[in-house]
Amino acid sequence: MLSRIADNLFWLNRYMERADGVARAVRYFYILGFDSWEGDTLGYGPLLQCYTGLTAGERQSMSQNGPAVLQYCICDNSNVNSLKVLLGKARENARGSQDRITKEVWEQVNAMYHFINNEGLTERLRGEDTLKVLDQLENHCLLYNGIVDSTMPRGLGWEFMNMGKFIERCLQTIDMADAYLQPMGYDLEKNDDLLYWRRLLYSLSGYELYLKSNRGTHHTRQAIYQAIFNADFPRSVIYSMERIDKYMHAMLAENAHPDSDKLVRQFGRLKSMVEFADPFSMDGKSLEELIQRIRQQVWDFSAELSRMFFSYT
Amino acid sequence: MNATHEKPLTWDEMFTPDAVRARYGGVNAALQQLSAAALEGKHKQAADFFMNQGITFTVYSDNEGIERIFPFDIIPRIITAKEWDHIEAGIKQRLKALNMFLHDVYHGQQIVKDGVVPASLIASCPHFLKEVTGIDVPHQIYVHIAGIDLIRGADGVFYVLEDNLRTPSGVSYMLENREVTKRIFPDLLAHNHVRMVNTYPTRLLNILSQLSPRQVDQPNVVLLTPGVYNSAYYEHTFLARTMGIPLVEGRDLVIDHQKVFMKTTSGLQPVDVIYRRIDDDFIDPLVFRPDSMLGVPGIMSAYRKGNVALVNAVGNGVADDKAVYAYVPAMIKYYLNEDAILPNIPTYRLEVEEERRHVFQHLSSMVVKQTNQSGGYGMVMGNKATELELNDLKVAVMQNPRNFIAQPIIQLSTVPCLIDGKLESRHIDLRPFALCGPSGIEIVPGGLTRVALRKGSLVVNSSQGGGSKDTWVVDIEE
Repeated sequence: MLSRIADNLFWLNRYMERADGVARAVRYFYILGFDSWEGDTLGYGPLLQCYTGLTAGERQSMSQNGPAVLQYCICDNSNVNSLKVLLGKARENARGSQDRITKEVWEQVNAMYHFINNEGLTERLRGEDTLKVLDQLENHCLLYNGIVDSTMPRGLGWEFMNMGKFIERCLQTIDMADAYLQPMGYDLEKNDDLLYWRRLLYSLSGYELYLKSNRGTHHTRQAIYQAIFNADFPRSVIYSMERIDKYMHAMLAENAHPDSDKLVRQFGRLKSMVEFADPFSMDGKSLEELIQRIRQQVWDFSAELSRMFFSYT
Repeated sequence: MNATHEKPLTWDEMFTPDAVRARYGGVNAALQQLSAAALEGKHKQAADFFMNQGITFTVYSDNEGIERIFPFDIIPRIITAKEWDHIEAGIKQRLKALNMFLHDVYHGQQIVKDGVVPASLIASCPHFLKEVTGIDVPHQIYVHIAGIDLIRGADGVFYVLEDNLRTPSGVSYMLENREVTKRIFPDLLAHNHVRMVNTYPTRLLNILSQLSPRQVDQPNVVLLTPGVYNSAYYEHTFLARTMGIPLVEGRDLVIDHQKVFMKTTSGLQPVDVIYRRIDDDFIDPLVFRPDSMLGVPGIMSAYRKGNVALVNAVGNGVADDKAVYAYVPAMIKYYLNEDAILPNIPTYRLEVEEERRHVFQHLSSMVVKQTNQSGGYGMVMGNKATELELNDLKVAVMQNPRNFIAQPIIQLSTVPCLIDGKLESRHIDLRPFALCGPSGIEIVPGGLTRVALRKGSLVVNSSQGGGSKDTWVVDIEE
């Protein structure tokens, strides 16, 4: 496979996964914003921290202003992670690899691009159609994932796409968990109120699983366990790493590279760090260090992957 | 239905002066059954199809890109089998002669020595590339893919308007137009037994594979595109996808020891055949334009060595130059000893003083074209231009007469189109796509019918407000 195409496919799915994360988070934050709760001091803060480059002050001033957040996260060209920008970049990558993705995938990416660039969208987001638009956005993302899964041929392209997808997912979950833990100073004995964690769990599509899997009142540790260490939860960090591991090995089997062993060892160390951590006995400081190390090492792994396979210029 | 016949001296594809042509019987009956709203519905359905497929170009306004589709008219253009046989024979004959001309002009130039084509005409042609003189191309085929533009005059005869022998585009529209017709007129398509066009990618791939310099089972064939910002990029992706070959950019290729390789995730892979959609000027910065970022440095050395096949061959522009066009019937006579089956439009070379004088005297009935322009650019219609424009034209001609030719204005044939919810006649041309391989010349039955959507306009180019139609070849005799 052409290095450029591998790069395009990797980033197509990274951007689409990020768009999926933004669409889901915005929708749930918006819906839950109608349920007023006196303990809700964060508002849209974690979402803005995770998905935008705003300063702490800017986030603070916008965190309780739902309509402004929606406009900024969906339609604003100045936000590098707005859906409009993300879908534009995804489409550019899809265009660059149009001969390798299926017609169905291209049409879906294209349909999403036209939906987000529709002239009337900004207006619809301000009116009574807001939730309908957010539903449509999330459905588009779900449809994209389904179409990719059911039409893309397996092989190198599929493996690079999935590496992009799960690296992105891993980073998003880490960032979102961090955005909730930072305001409580990583004190794992605080905020055992489920309402505090509800937005995080909904944003990761994990609220129902959480209710089914957990009893008791230690919601902080249980919510963090689900987000990072629960191997059955498809948006957890460890699940994402299992997938990266699988696709990395499949990719290396088809695509020998002199530095393959180095990449395998690098990722093995990273995955073991999460796999063998003890989430119920570690204190807040250890968890904070772990989260920072995971984030840094995922970045490093992604950079090494790019160097080995995408450095075509 | 009442299509308007503004010009009685124009051939209408659908109507004789007093009846509907037999080929259009089924289509006419179906259109009669449809309300204006239903027709508009089908028009919108077709537009949505193109938009969702991403068959668009971008218009920039206030730093915002707006996607626009290339206009498609839902009413098909129909050609009978008998007419098609004539067109097919004419194009095959023409391409055979043009291939022989290209080999000759880059080897011995016997046709020049025999005085059939003036030496000055070749020497002054900007697309004659001395850099490819003496290069032997596989099977002596230079033109592998051609788009020959035909028009039908008021006498009902098909004339060749121009030969596109370098990187003709539009074939994806021919194929996608058929796909959209399947959705909007499925019954009509079935009842008319329209000949199939979608074998084109398979036929093209077969030809490309046969050109490989390496004798291997599965040669590596790629399509070289200038990139995502090229206006024909959709077509490049379409062809690569439908042939199952990699779509590469110049930066994906590298030359090593006069061989071409592509940069893949598992290292360098050899490339045998390149269907390039990059113009000659840009293909190799070491030989042609040094500022080109689109091409591959050194690719011409691999080509000269015979280590890679380039499709179409480099230097073909000398054969589709608008001034050289005038000599194609003479080439057919010279190489094949046959008369041209498809006639040329009378063409005046303005560097010839006598012809120039004649043209200047009859400018109002002439179209003057620059020989090095295409896409409808560099063209002045004598009957539409102002006095000032005509004077400016004369000055430009006198400064560089080799750069201009003139032809009498031919009223292109018309066909009904859906314009603002009503059926109105518009002028059309036809671009069939021919493929030349070691086993001969193949032409898929159909082509791209281009429409001048502006009322009365004779300019069908998409860059000048043109659209397109599906083109049917049917076994109906008249």
